[in-house]
Amino acid sequence: MPLKWRVLTIIGLCLVSVFFLFPRNVKQRVRGADGALHDETVRHVPLRRGLDLEGGTYLALEVDDSKQAIPADKKKDAIDRALKTVRTRIEGYGVSESVVQKQGDDRIVVQIPGEKDPERARQLVEQQAFLQFNITDKTGALERALPKLDQVVKQRGLATATAADTSTKAGAPNKALQGLLTSGDTAKKVALGKTAKDSAAKKDSAAAADSLKLQAGGAFSSLLQQGGMPGEYYVATTDVPTLDKFLADSAVRAALPPGKDMVPGTDSTSLQNKWYKAYYLVDHNPIITGDYLSNARPNQSPTDGTIVEFSLSNEGGRRFRNETGKHIGDYMAIILDGRVMGRPPVIQGAIGTHGQITMGGKGLADAQDLALVLNAGALPVQLRVAETHSIGPSLGEDSINKGLRATIISVALVVVIMLVYYRFSGLLAVGGLALYVLYTLAALAGFDAVLTLPGIAGFVLSIGMAVDANVLIFERIREELGRGKTVRTAIDEGFRHAMPAIVDSNVSTILTAAVLYQYGTGPVKGFAVTLIAGIFASLITSIFVVRTFYLLWLNRSRGAQTLSI
Amino acid sequence: MLRILHDTKFDFISHWKSAAIGTIAFIVLGFILLGVHAARHNGQALNQSVEFTGGTVVQLTFENPPSADAVRNAVDQAGFSGAEVTTFGDSRNYLIKVQPQEGVKAAANADSVGAHIVQVMTQRIPGNQATVARAESVGPRVGSELKTRAMMAILLSFAVTLIYLAFRFEWRFGVAAVIASAHDILTTLAFLAMMRLEISLTVVAAILTVIGYSLNDTIIIFDRVRENLKKQRKESLYEVLNRSINETLPRSVLTHATVFAATLALLIFAGEVIRPFSWVMAFGVFTGTFSSIYVAGAILLWIEHKWPRATGAETKGTAKALAEGRRREQPAATAGSR
Repeated sequence: MPLKWRVLTIIGLCLVSVFFLFPRNVKQRVRGADGALHDETVRHVPLRRGLDLEGGTYLALEVDDSKQAIPADKKKDAIDRALKTVRTRIEGYGVSESVVQKQGDDRIVVQIPGEKDPERARQLVEQQAFLQFNITDKTGALERALPKLDQVVKQRGLATATAADTSTKAGAPNKALQGLLTSGDTAKKVALGKTAKDSAAKKDSAAAADSLKLQAGGAFSSLLQQGGMPGEYYVATTDVPTLDKFLADSAVRAALPPGKDMVPGTDSTSLQNKWYKAYYLVDHNPIITGDYLSNARPNQSPTDGTIVEFSLSNEGGRRFRNETGKHIGDYMAIILDGRVMGRPPVIQGAIGTHGQITMGGKGLADAQDLALVLNAGALPVQLRVAETHSIGPSLGEDSINKGLRATIISVALVVVIMLVYYRFSGLLAVGGLALYVLYTLAALAGFDAVLTLPGIAGFVLSIGMAVDANVLIFERIREELGRGKTVRTAIDEGFRHAMPAIVDSNVSTILTAAVLYQYGTGPVKGFAVTLIAGIFASLITSIFVVRTFYLLWLNRSRGAQTLSI
Repeated sequence: MLRILHDTKFDFISHWKSAAIGTIAFIVLGFILLGVHAARHNGQALNQSVEFTGGTVVQLTFENPPSADAVRNAVDQAGFSGAEVTTFGDSRNYLIKVQPQEGVKAAANADSVGAHIVQVMTQRIPGNQATVARAESVGPRVGSELKTRAMMAILLSFAVTLIYLAFRFEWRFGVAAVIASAHDILTTLAFLAMMRLEISLTVVAAILTVIGYSLNDTIIIFDRVRENLKKQRKESLYEVLNRSINETLPRSVLTHATVFAATLALLIFAGEVIRPFSWVMAFGVFTGTFSSIYVAGAILLWIEHKWPRATGAETKGTAKALAEGRRREQPAATAGSR
């Protein structure tokens, strides 16, 4: 290649590199201290920083099969469908440069740069957001089923010593609770005995008597206290795991009143310094589900506190009006992901397309997130977090500063070594090294690679290794000069003889880096990318650029008899 | 012209016995230590990061250095009494490692573990604000998966380089180079055991880089051997090896100097997070240099001795035979090297 073209190629490469690295304005949507989103224009070099430098949250999600086994192909399908929903949610969350992608067949990876509240991010993607409205039971069906339930629990050997313990002490608070509840002023708060008798009077007095009798001894029934409204039962917080264990058993579930489910609530109540959690017996079939939801938004209500208002689609509204019209006077449980939200309100008349979910004591941020997930739709399966990484912004910044310092110092050391040892030729190599740094960074920016802390380390290392090709060539030139060859021939021969070694050694490193890229995760991938970019840049600079420098020098000082090397 | 170690005539190979004893002693010592660690840490011979074991790790940064006992107590009180509590870099940073609890929720806990500990800390150590600098959590299944991937990466990079070497050099060189790489992995493991460094994915990347780097070195020397063999001198492989090592010595010294300078910069200035990586790299410069001379070179000689080329008894083991054998076996490679 003529010298002119060589020089032009190098200048061209430099221009392209500068173009790739030129700082540009980027519009970013960030969450401010107030929790609201706003656009911010930042001017920076277009090098993408990984989460370990930027700070932020990384989540890997997989299908939760802890409750039931799910075959692999079903999982794959579910992940594909869930990916869309998760993406919509994260986009709705609004932080720019968030990443949602599939990893392998059965995982979804979410990366939110700059997110300071990893717990919130986790909730946002993990929540299945399956919304349904179910009518609670008013017929005392559970009380009638209690003997059977107790029997089943006994047969299945589910009742352990702890359950027996609770059954013995259950008697006293039962009465106390009863008193407390009846003294409560709300008309709907009815104590256990009364409801049981009411229903008994209506239906079957013998069965009710049985249920009352078994109340004291049965492992299942002893856990329950009649709550403040029909179909509501209080369970002491300490007994909740036991009850959940019972309810997880298929035989127990089968013994529940037909067409009914027992669902825990979100709220806890304190009575006499003891905490109780509410459970509700609801119809198995919902009157309507979140599928018909068209819009949800957070709001503050003077009476109910933080709420999420929702509207239903036209069809959903029609159904909802019909169904609620049939159930006037009944209670409607709003169930989100298998938990009753707040206390079921009474249906006072047919409800149309609008409704609201009260958030209890929770804040506006929670309401925002709930509205967001409801809008994005429910996940087809329950997901669980398999892996999380969250890095605070200060640690990331610290890593950048330290990485930068290590880079500068290693460059300085290498420059000194090369200059001291090779003098003028060392200077040419340093010129090549400067272009090496430029080209490598430009390649990273150009390919939109992500810079991570191991990536910076790889870059620092590659600076040390980049001069290896130069060293090989220079040593060859020295040998040729030692054999009495002229400067021009020695340079030619030096470059030519060093080639096989340079190619072989670099190819083997590229192969290793490629394997790393294939098998590595985030930060390690960043390392592999920098290494590969670095090797190519070092091949270009040491073989092509430094050679051109030599040719330029030879042209200027024609007939040079000595070479400073 | 500044020259170091120019035109040297060291007989490197003659020291192979003491070199072998030295390196085997180092590796054995390392593996005895691994055994000791395994006995002490419930069968965990290597100090693996949560990426591989599954579990949760939280890095807390305090405004002022707290006492180690106070942190330990707070962690215990927060309900993580099995946790491993260590300082991280300086005394203002603490690393709390919680092994996965039985059940599947481990992964979800990373952030709550951090938040919970911070809450307890603020109560117990008032006026010394602690912040969660980093929290990571890995489910056990992901952990074992990552472990498999790391092993796969190491094996695959072995296979790939072996194939490349077989293509560029003849098989004797390839086998010698791969055994040298295996040696590097063993010494690095011994080094990891001695330093009790935490093995993370980043450290695996460092090990692979060390292998690549050591292979570089081996290839440079082998390339010179290949070239010297072609010159058809009546030298034994032993002499050719020694000469090639001596001829490439200035290059080796200089390249190792620059790479070591870069690793030193990393080790001293790049901070705690990347330090295990830096240590492995720093060690790699030494083991890589050593193995290309004493492992790769010695094994090449041994293979040559054990399976001499079938080119005729009179030229057995000589440079000429090697060169001719090579040319016959790999004509394409010779052409390709130009």
